[in-house]
Amino acid sequence: MPSRFKLSATATLAALALLGASCGSSAGDAPTVEGAAADIVSGECVGANGETVTIYSGRTENLIQPILDAFVCETGVDVQVRWGDSADLALLLAEEGDASDADVFLSSSPGPVGFLEGEGLLGTLDADTLELVSADNQASAGTWIGFSGRKRVLVYNLDNVADGELPASVLDLTDPAYADRVAIPATNGSFEDWFTVFRDTEGNDVATQWINDMAANGARTYPNNRSIVEAVGRGEIDMGLVNHYYNYQESAARGDEHRAENFDFAAEDIGSLLIITAATKLESSEHSDTANALIQYLLTPGAQTYFTQETFEYPLAAGIDPADVLPPLVALEIGSVDFDSLGGGFADTERIIQESGILNN
Amino acid sequence: MPTPNESFRKVASSTTSAERSTSLPTSPRGLRWTSAILAFLFAFPAIYLVWRNITSDTDPFGVLFTRRTLDPLRRTLVLAVLVSATTAVVGTVLAWLTTRTDLPGQRLFRTLLPLPLVYPTFVGAAAFIRTLSPGGIASDLLGTIGLDGTIELRGLFGAWLVLSLFTYPYVYLPVAARLRRLPGSIEESARLLGDTSWNAFRRVVLPQISSAIATGSLLVFLYAVSDFGAVQLMRYDTLTRAIWTTRLNNQQVSLALSLVLLVLAGTSVGAERFLERRFTNPPSTKVGRPLQFRLGRAKVASFGLVALVVFLGLIAPAVALGDWAITGIIRDANGQRDLFLSASDIWVPARNTALASAITAFAAVLAVLPIAQLVTRHRSRVGEVANGVVISTFALPGLLVALAVFFWTGEFAWARENLRGTLLILIFAYVVRFGSQAMGSTQVAVASVPPRLDDAARMLGASRVRRFLTIDIPLMTPGLLAGAGLVLLATMKELPITLFVAPFDFPTLTTKTFTNFEDAFIAEAGIYALVLVALSALLTWLLVLRRSDHRF
Repeated sequence: MPSRFKLSATATLAALALLGASCGSSAGDAPTVEGAAADIVSGECVGANGETVTIYSGRTENLIQPILDAFVCETGVDVQVRWGDSADLALLLAEEGDASDADVFLSSSPGPVGFLEGEGLLGTLDADTLELVSADNQASAGTWIGFSGRKRVLVYNLDNVADGELPASVLDLTDPAYADRVAIPATNGSFEDWFTVFRDTEGNDVATQWINDMAANGARTYPNNRSIVEAVGRGEIDMGLVNHYYNYQESAARGDEHRAENFDFAAEDIGSLLIITAATKLESSEHSDTANALIQYLLTPGAQTYFTQETFEYPLAAGIDPADVLPPLVALEIGSVDFDSLGGGFADTERIIQESGILNN
Repeated sequence: MPTPNESFRKVASSTTSAERSTSLPTSPRGLRWTSAILAFLFAFPAIYLVWRNITSDTDPFGVLFTRRTLDPLRRTLVLAVLVSATTAVVGTVLAWLTTRTDLPGQRLFRTLLPLPLVYPTFVGAAAFIRTLSPGGIASDLLGTIGLDGTIELRGLFGAWLVLSLFTYPYVYLPVAARLRRLPGSIEESARLLGDTSWNAFRRVVLPQISSAIATGSLLVFLYAVSDFGAVQLMRYDTLTRAIWTTRLNNQQVSLALSLVLLVLAGTSVGAERFLERRFTNPPSTKVGRPLQFRLGRAKVASFGLVALVVFLGLIAPAVALGDWAITGIIRDANGQRDLFLSASDIWVPARNTALASAITAFAAVLAVLPIAQLVTRHRSRVGEVANGVVISTFALPGLLVALAVFFWTGEFAWARENLRGTLLILIFAYVVRFGSQAMGSTQVAVASVPPRLDDAARMLGASRVRRFLTIDIPLMTPGLLAGAGLVLLATMKELPITLFVAPFDFPTLTTKTFTNFEDAFIAEAGIYALVLVALSALLTWLLVLRRSDHRF
């Protein structure tokens, strides 16, 4: 019997150990950070203080977790995150209404934040947070703030596209020279946001004509930016309209096998728009101060440096320079289009894109 | 004068219909109430959808008769009909070849054939697209032998191919389970009386498995109707895609289109039930081994066919995933780029996936069993409605089920405090989403219990519980396990409900595959997806196949 007892005891202990290991270190000791998170931390790690902040994040786990780890380390606040597509999370938040657990919502584009603002679910950020970012990159009502920027570019295949072939303006892509060669993430949030600004600045007729012509010119719809960058890198399609930073990540992942580079349209061209990723605090949050602290943390030099050095985005907090590999932002005046003013523009955007027939291309 | 075969067929069918009519007494009240309550629980996403359509003042009819809706609706129907017809044929042929013939390698094939069901369509479609396009492994291989291997998979063809390859097990599994329990004696007699083997199959076997084919094809139909991953990647603009693209900015349209989807699902379930009543669903008497058909000269071709399906549906996508994984591992080893994961990163999602899907599989079978009994053994309106609710819920997008959970748990303080973010509510949402997958097999299982056995046991004084445990359960086991297997595989690859309804910090292999894929961490995505495939193979074998086979 003793041997059997020993065996089952060992098994139980092993199971508990595994369970414990998988549950992670939840409370008590000061956490330690390593890797990318350690570079973000400016001070010392502190022990858990019993506070919790709940985030609904449309920014993906791989790329933002180091900042959250650093935040946990420096503040002792426990962070719990619901990951997902920004638009889906916005819908869930609207469905929960005041009953939501969420304190903070991080969106990968302005559209979902605008939707929640329309639903009246957003709280107001503290003044000391808002002052970290220029007035162009936040809501005039102080309900949300941009914390990183992605520039719209044309990614192209190095083998299939000659240097002189690339156009100065996104409007030129309707030319027969680009027939069947351009990929568009027509159902993607950042593209819809871009198209909405396009309609607003260049006029509804110009934008509608453009998307119709693109469809007629054989532009193809891909599910998202990432799949376009990957397909262009393999030569499946020659070029595509995307956010700039995916190409840096794909190059990092695949090295020389990835045969694509970004091309910037002319500085003043609508094709060079800067799209921001936005952070906001829910009106119903019961941890308003912690929520504010977390959003503020995204704008600290450590976090902003991480965004530009590791994920190749444009920092939005004053005083942090973009990574050397990124072309300087000359189009900032266009990039800072007031997303506030667009209001219900997104519904028409979605309809115009659908009616162009490009989704079947 | 009727030929021997015709009169024989009449005898066969008259016995079954006689048994059938005696097996449909009025239903016990307890069973009716249980089924009604279960149906109500299963209906919670549908109730939410109707409620939201009313409160959001949508205009389903106005939305329906616009080109924006009719074109996607037409594409949805074309795709779903093609895919379900294809899988009905392929699934039946595969089932017959692996259960009733001397095909070599049957045991292995029986383990492998259900597995394509485990690929989430976004993984499967992406694997095909990337493998066949320039720079993909298949394209490269074909290139080295001088062929232009660049095939652009897209549109109806691409969506049809991918969905057919990843859904035929819905037909294969119940039909194989049925064939395994089917007495060979009638078929044998038909052959003895001079029927060719094809005629014997058509006249004797086919009528007896047609209800299993119909239930399986219905699931495929609803799967194709509700799929988003494949149509999105293949750029085929169906109803689900319209629902998805309008969900945030044109919520009224999205809700109205979802309602159209639900009505479409309800209609097809009704149509299937109408057909179902015309099929005989004979009890299995299990006289000796089922008839084994000698393939003879067709053996090589048959083996080739089954192997081709396994290759396209299981091995080719796995090779593509392996290619991504190995590329990443080599780059890691060369110090070019570190992999963003370690062994412990895989253990937690694997454990979560196994735990949640295994519990869901058995909970789903338990949840649909009363309804299956009511529908199969009794003539009951409650049973028909409950069955319709369970099955048509499958057509609703997972995101809608998640939204419904958020809505109801937000409405009621008790649910908010006690249910939100728990494993319990996750399992519940999974069961609601996938209960339909267990329903068909469970009904076939219930029908396979001959009522006269039960009558005999009752006359001998056995209690209801004892009869259930000693007669029903053993006879139903293969069918119930087949149902559980389908739920298991579906749950393992589920994405939206897992992302949104699960407890915080509850990653699964599918959510990990998805997020890594989205971040262009292709190697990591490939590794997680391969672990998912391996784990589902292991679990299917451990929990389902091993047990359903050993009594064969």
